[in-house]
Amino acid sequence: MNTKRKGKDFCIFALPGLFCFLAVVIVPFLYGVYLTLTDWNGVSSVKNFVGLKNFAAMAKDAQFWSSLVLTFKYVIAVVVLVNVLAFLIAYLLTRGFKGQNFFRAGFFTPNLIGGIVLGYIWQFVFSRVFVSIGEATDWNLFEISWLSKPNTAFAAMVLVTVWQLSGYMILIYVAGFTGLDTEVMEAASIDGASGWKKMKNIILPLMMPSITICLFLTLSRAFMVYDVNLSLTGGAPYGSTEMAAMHVYEKAFTSRQFGTGQAEAIVLFLIVACISGIQVYITKKKEVAA
Amino acid sequence: MMKLRQWKRTAAIGLSTVLAVTSLSGCRFGFASDPDDENDTVKEEPIDTSVDTFAYDESLQGTKITLLNSKAEIQVALEKMSKIFEEKAGVHIEVMPVTEGDSPYTKVVSMYNSGNAPTMAILDTTDVKALADEKALVLDGEDWVKEAGNYATEIQGHIFSMPLCVEGKGIIYNKKVIEETLGRNLNPDEINTLDGFKALLNEMRDAGMEKPVSLAKEDWSLGAHHLQYLYETYDGTSEGAAKAVEDLENGQLKVKDYQRVSQLLDLFDVLKEYNVAQGDPLGADYDEMAIDLVDGKTAFWFNGNWAWPNMQEAGAKSDDEYGFLPYFLNNDPDDFVNTKIQAAPSKQVMLDGQQASKEQQDAAKEFLNWIVFSEIGQQMLVKTCNLIPAFKNNPNEPLDPLSRDIFEKVQTDRTYNAAAVVPNDHWSVLGAAMQKYLADRCDREELMDAIQNYWDEQ
Amino acid sequence: MNSSSGVQKRSVRTFAMAGMILIFIAYMFPFLMVVINSLKQKRDIIKSPFSWLFTVKGLSFDNFVKAFNQMDFLNAIKNSLIITVSATAIVTILAAMLAYFIVRNNNMLTRIIFALMVASMIIPFQAIMIPLVSIYGGTLNLLNHRLTLIFMHVGFSMSMTVFMFHGFIRGSVPIALEEAAYLDGCTHTQTFFKIVFPLLKPIMSTTLILNALAFWNDFLLPSLVLTDKKLLTLPLSTYSFYGTYSADYGTIMAGLLLCVVPLLILYIALQKQIINGVVAGAVK
Repeated sequence: MNTKRKGKDFCIFALPGLFCFLAVVIVPFLYGVYLTLTDWNGVSSVKNFVGLKNFAAMAKDAQFWSSLVLTFKYVIAVVVLVNVLAFLIAYLLTRGFKGQNFFRAGFFTPNLIGGIVLGYIWQFVFSRVFVSIGEATDWNLFEISWLSKPNTAFAAMVLVTVWQLSGYMILIYVAGFTGLDTEVMEAASIDGASGWKKMKNIILPLMMPSITICLFLTLSRAFMVYDVNLSLTGGAPYGSTEMAAMHVYEKAFTSRQFGTGQAEAIVLFLIVACISGIQVYITKKKEVAA
Repeated sequence: MMKLRQWKRTAAIGLSTVLAVTSLSGCRFGFASDPDDENDTVKEEPIDTSVDTFAYDESLQGTKITLLNSKAEIQVALEKMSKIFEEKAGVHIEVMPVTEGDSPYTKVVSMYNSGNAPTMAILDTTDVKALADEKALVLDGEDWVKEAGNYATEIQGHIFSMPLCVEGKGIIYNKKVIEETLGRNLNPDEINTLDGFKALLNEMRDAGMEKPVSLAKEDWSLGAHHLQYLYETYDGTSEGAAKAVEDLENGQLKVKDYQRVSQLLDLFDVLKEYNVAQGDPLGADYDEMAIDLVDGKTAFWFNGNWAWPNMQEAGAKSDDEYGFLPYFLNNDPDDFVNTKIQAAPSKQVMLDGQQASKEQQDAAKEFLNWIVFSEIGQQMLVKTCNLIPAFKNNPNEPLDPLSRDIFEKVQTDRTYNAAAVVPNDHWSVLGAAMQKYLADRCDREELMDAIQNYWDEQ
Repeated sequence: MNSSSGVQKRSVRTFAMAGMILIFIAYMFPFLMVVINSLKQKRDIIKSPFSWLFTVKGLSFDNFVKAFNQMDFLNAIKNSLIITVSATAIVTILAAMLAYFIVRNNNMLTRIIFALMVASMIIPFQAIMIPLVSIYGGTLNLLNHRLTLIFMHVGFSMSMTVFMFHGFIRGSVPIALEEAAYLDGCTHTQTFFKIVFPLLKPIMSTTLILNALAFWNDFLLPSLVLTDKKLLTLPLSTYSFYGTYSADYGTIMAGLLLCVVPLLILYIALQKQIINGVVAGAVK
C-alpha cells in the first residue's frame, strides 16, 4: 500500500471519529491540566501561573487521601462481586433453557435507569422500605437504616453498584459465551472433562477477552463512581462514604478550591490509568497464552 | 415460546396505552380516594390584577432575560410570575432551575464560563459574595434599597443583590397537640429560658409523649441552620456575625472560650434527649418529620418557614396553629436569643454586570422594582411564591401559619436579623462533625476541636 | 456418562437455577417498589412504602398525570429521541471505521491513538467539565444547540465504542474476505461498507444498546449544554420533582416509569433481533 493511499484512508476512516474524540475529550482535558498550574478559581477573568502550588495543596488534603483509600476498598469489593456474579449468571443464561431471554432482559433492566435517579430510588429502599420491613419483622438486619452507619452505608454503596453494573457485564459475558466454539465445548465433554476442570482449563482461557473488557470496565467505572455516591449517600454519614470522584467535585465547587480539585482529578486519573493499564497488560497476556 | 413473546408485546403496548390514556384524561381509580378531598389539591390564591399603577418602561419591550432559580420549590410560581410580567411589561423572562445534583454556585460558574450567564440569579449570600467583585451589577441607586432597610446586604460598601424574601428558623411547635397532651392552654411567649423549654418537654413526657422532638440529620440542617447560630447570636446583628466569623478566622476568638458554643450544645443535647428518632438519629427521615409533627406523634421540629410545603402535604391546614419558639441558649430571660427568633434575608437576587446588555440589565432592574413596588408583583411574591416579603411596603400578609408567625414577630420586633456569611463548605464539613455528635460518635470536646480545626484551616 | 453423575449434575443445575431465580427476584425488588409507590400518595409512600392495597388514600394515576404535565413529556421525549438516535447512529459508524483503520494499519501512530483512547476512558468527567463549557460556550458560543450535544455525546462515547469494535474486528473479522474483495476491484471504502460493516452486527447490537442507554439517561452533560426549556431531554425534565429540602417521591417514580417505558417497549420489541445478532456473531 502506498503512502498516498494510506493518507486518503486515514482521512476517510480515522479522521472524523478521531476529530470528535480529540475535540471533546483531549483538548478540554489538556486545558484542564493547564488550569491546575494556575490560580484560576472558576470564575475570575485572570489566570496567574502558580506552578505546582495546587499539587502541594492536594498533598496536604488529608480528606482526599482517605477518600482514595475508601475508593480502593470499594473498587476491590465491586470488581470481585460484579465479575463473579455476572460470569456465573451469564454462564447459566447461555445453557439454552426455556425463558432465558426473559431473564437476560430482566437482569439488564437496572441499566435502563440513569445513575442519579437510581441512587434516589435505592435511598428510598434503604431508608424507608427496609426500615419498615425491619419494624414489621423485628429483623435485626433492617432495624436501623443502612445509610446511618459508615459500614452499612458502604455496604449499601457496594450493593447498589453491583446491582447496576452486573447487568451490563452479564451482557458482555453472554456475548462471550455464545461466541464460544460449540465444537470445542462438546469435544471437551466427550473427553471426560467436566465441572470445575472444564471451567478452568477450557472455558476460562477462552473467555479471557470478555474478562479483560469486563475487568477494565468495572475497574474504571468503580473508580470514578459519582452519580450513585451523590444521590445514595451524599457522603453521609458524616462524610464517611465520600469517594474520590465526589471529593474532587466537592473540593472544586463546595470548598471553592478549583485548582486543587482539578489537580486531584488529574491525579485520580493517573492512578486509575496505571492500575487499569496493569490489569489490561496482565489479562491480555493470558489471552495470548490461551 | 411464540405465545409468550406475543403476550409480552401485547402487554407492553397495552401498558403504554393505559398510561397514555390515563395521563391524557386524568382519570383516577382507587380504593379510598376521594376526588373532592381538599388535601389533594392545594388551592391557589387568586391574584387581583385589576389595579396596576406601576410605570413600565416602553423601550424595554421585546427584551429577553433569564433568571436562574436555586429555590426549586418556587420554580412553578416564578414561571407564573414571569408570564404575568411579560404580559404587562413585554419583557420575556426565562426561568431556569438549578437541577438536581448541581449546586447553584456550580451552575452559575458553568454558565458564566459558557458565555451564557443568567441576567438574574437567585443565590445565597455567600455565593453573591464570591461573585460580586467581577460579575455582579452594582445596585446602590435602586429605589427598593430604601424600602429594604437593614435587610439590604452590603458587600465592600456596595449593594450587589436584592433580598428576595425573609426566612426565619427556630423550634416549630404544634400548639394543638401540646395543649391536647397537657390538657391545658399553652402560651408560647411564657417560655423564655432553656430550663423553661426543658420543663415543657418534661411535662410532655409525663403526660405520655415520650419523645416530642423531631431533629433532622441532614448536614445542611446541622451545619448551616444549627451551627450558624454560633455567629448569628454573637450580638444579633449581621455586623456582629461578621465579627465573630472574622475573629474565629484569624484566631482571636477560640471556640473553647466562646460561650455560645457550649450554650448551643446545651440546647442540642436537650433536643437529642427528646429526639423521636433516638434509636437511629441518622436514619431520621425529613418527610416523616413533617408527617409526625402534623399527626401529633411529635410536637416540636427544629426547622424554618420553608418547611411549610412539606407540612401542608402532610395534611396541615393554613388555619392550624403552628409557630416558632426561640433557639434557647441559656437561662437568662434578658438574653435576646431566648425571646427572639432569627429571621434574615437568605436568598438574594444578583444581576449580571458582565455579559448582559444594557437593555437586559434595565429589564432585570425593572423586574426587581416590579416585585417590590407593583401591586401585582407584591401580591405574587406573597401569594403565588408563598414568601415573606423583605420590604416594608408590601401590605400582603403571608398565608401559612409559619410565615405568618415570622411576619408578626418581625412587625413586633421579636426577631433578630443576623445573616452570617461563612465559607462555602462550612455546612458540609461541620455538618459532618455535627452528625457524628448527633450519633454519639464523638463527644463535646471532640466536636469543639473539629470546629476549632475548621476555623484554623481558613 | 453414568446415571449417578447425571443425577448429581441435574441437582447442581437445579440448585444453580434456584439461586439465580432468587437473585433475579432481589434484582426486581426495587422496580416493584417503584411501580407500587408510583401509584400512591406521598404520605403513604413515606409511612407504609411496602403496603399496596390498604393505604389511606388508595391508588391513583395522579402522579403520572402530574409527571406527564410537569415534564412536558411529549416535547421531552421528542428531544431525547432526536439526540439519542442521531448520536448513536453517528458514533456507531465513525467508531467502526476508526477501529477498522486501527486494526488494519498496525503502526506507531495507530497504536498511540488506540492507547490514548483507552486511557481517556478513565478521565473523570469532573476533570473536563469546566474546561469543556468554557471552550464550547465561552470561546465558541455553541451551547444550547442539539447538534452540540450530539457532537459531544459522540466524542465522549467514541473511545469506548472503538475499544469494543477493535476487539471484535481483531478477533472475528477474517482479512481473507477483504483481500478477495480487493481482488474484485473494490475500493477500501466499498470493502468496508459491503463486507466488513455487516460482519460487525453482533458487537454492534451491544454497542448500540449501551450507547443509546447512556445518551438517553445522561444527566450531567445535557444539563451543562442545554438550558433552553424547549430542548430539555427526559432526565432533565424531571428536575422539578426534586425540591431543595425534600423529594417528591411519588412523582419521581411516576416520571421514572415514563422515562423507562419507551426503552422497555423498544427492548422487548427488538429483543429477538438483539439476541439473534449476538448469536449470529457467535456462529461466524
